[in-house]
Amino acid sequence: MTNTSGSAGRSPTILGTSLVGVLLAIAIAAVYIAPSEQTMGDAQRVMYVHISVAWLALLGFAVMAICGWRYLVTRNLWWDQWAIAIGEVGWMCSTLTLVTGSLWAHAAWGTWWTWDPRLVTSFVLWAIYSGNLTLRSGLEDANTRARLCSVMAIIGLADVPLVVMATRWFRGVHPVSPDMEPAMRYTLVANIAGWTALMIHLVVRRRRLLVLQSQVAELQSLYETSQTQR
Amino acid sequence: MASKLWWLIHKDLMIEYRTRQTWTSMLLLCVIIAVVFSLQVKLPMEHRTATVSTMLWLAIIFASQVVVERTGIAEHQDGCWDALTQYPVSASTIYLAKLIVNLVAILALNCVMVPLFVVLTDVPLLLHAGAMSLVIGLGSLSVAAIGTLVSAATFGQRQRGAVLSLLALPLVLPVLLSASEATRLAATNDLGNQWWRWVQFLGAFTIVFVTLGIVLFGAMIEE
Repeated sequence: MTNTSGSAGRSPTILGTSLVGVLLAIAIAAVYIAPSEQTMGDAQRVMYVHISVAWLALLGFAVMAICGWRYLVTRNLWWDQWAIAIGEVGWMCSTLTLVTGSLWAHAAWGTWWTWDPRLVTSFVLWAIYSGNLTLRSGLEDANTRARLCSVMAIIGLADVPLVVMATRWFRGVHPVSPDMEPAMRYTLVANIAGWTALMIHLVVRRRRLLVLQSQVAELQSLYETSQTQR
Repeated sequence: MASKLWWLIHKDLMIEYRTRQTWTSMLLLCVIIAVVFSLQVKLPMEHRTATVSTMLWLAIIFASQVVVERTGIAEHQDGCWDALTQYPVSASTIYLAKLIVNLVAILALNCVMVPLFVVLTDVPLLLHAGAMSLVIGLGSLSVAAIGTLVSAATFGQRQRGAVLSLLALPLVLPVLLSASEATRLAATNDLGNQWWRWVQFLGAFTIVFVTLGIVLFGAMIEE
């Protein structure tokens, strides 16, 4: 079994703390360095987080579906552990997308929610993420769980292009690639990079936890078997 | 494959003919939904058409959930499903057979639901019967394709109905939006480019889900 104490256990914590520090610096840049938007003022600054987490929710779903497909091909639970980790962090990003989008919408459109195609398809993505997590929690056998959730992730992938193309294919009020000043663009890129690094870190940590959980379950079952034989 | 497919469809339709366990409850549910929805529609015609188009598809989707759930339950009684999977027939053939049986039920549902909504709400849903048939055909096929595939994921689950709705409804939502928009445009005598775009979207969605069903159903049902 892998030793998680000592330097091997500390390095992810140091990495995580550094990432939080970087994100704080990016947040400060988003609040104080990036210029205010002319019509919306400071409320527009929520966009830096909104676009970052929205991108991660989409990326997370696509990667989860790829992991699911790899599981179906190889039948190796290693892929499913990645799918679980990405699914959970992706769900969190999808939730944050809806929350930050709603905050922005209230400032921009005067309403928390409107039935715009981009909003509807983003909500559908969140619901598919949630359905996948619910399906997973209702199944006992690890292989059955991995198999069914892999298929559901592949099916749900059909919504990802709809979210991306919603503003181009259907008429709506959601902005499509607005023009930005260079300082705003750099802040946005820094935010996307920072949030992506944090997501990768969280996924790796969650996946490590899942490995440890499965090892504990294995040891428990070995212990129970030895007790029964005695 | 065609003869095996036919016999599987024949088996399911014969079971339904003898037991009448799905269609009766489905039709009753759709009549109740249509009446309850219609009671709430006291709007000017323009708004009423938009509302009724969405209500029609909501009613179809909810009733089709009953169809898909009941056909799955029926197959799992008395070891029928185990016997079926032992039979020398591919998973995609089983999927297509189940899909066609569910589609027949949903189309029958539409044959009752659409005239009923016309009578209860005065919205001319059959103004362009051909265009409406195309929308209903594609929409029903999408709903049946998603329902048949997703219901296989819920076999043996404790809260099967709830999980089925939770998994299927988000996937069906784009179908609901495009089918209700296409229905609204057909009912308002607007069969222009916009209507055609919604129909194309519906068609693309149908092709994607039927293909995914044929490819992935095997992985869904393996023990």
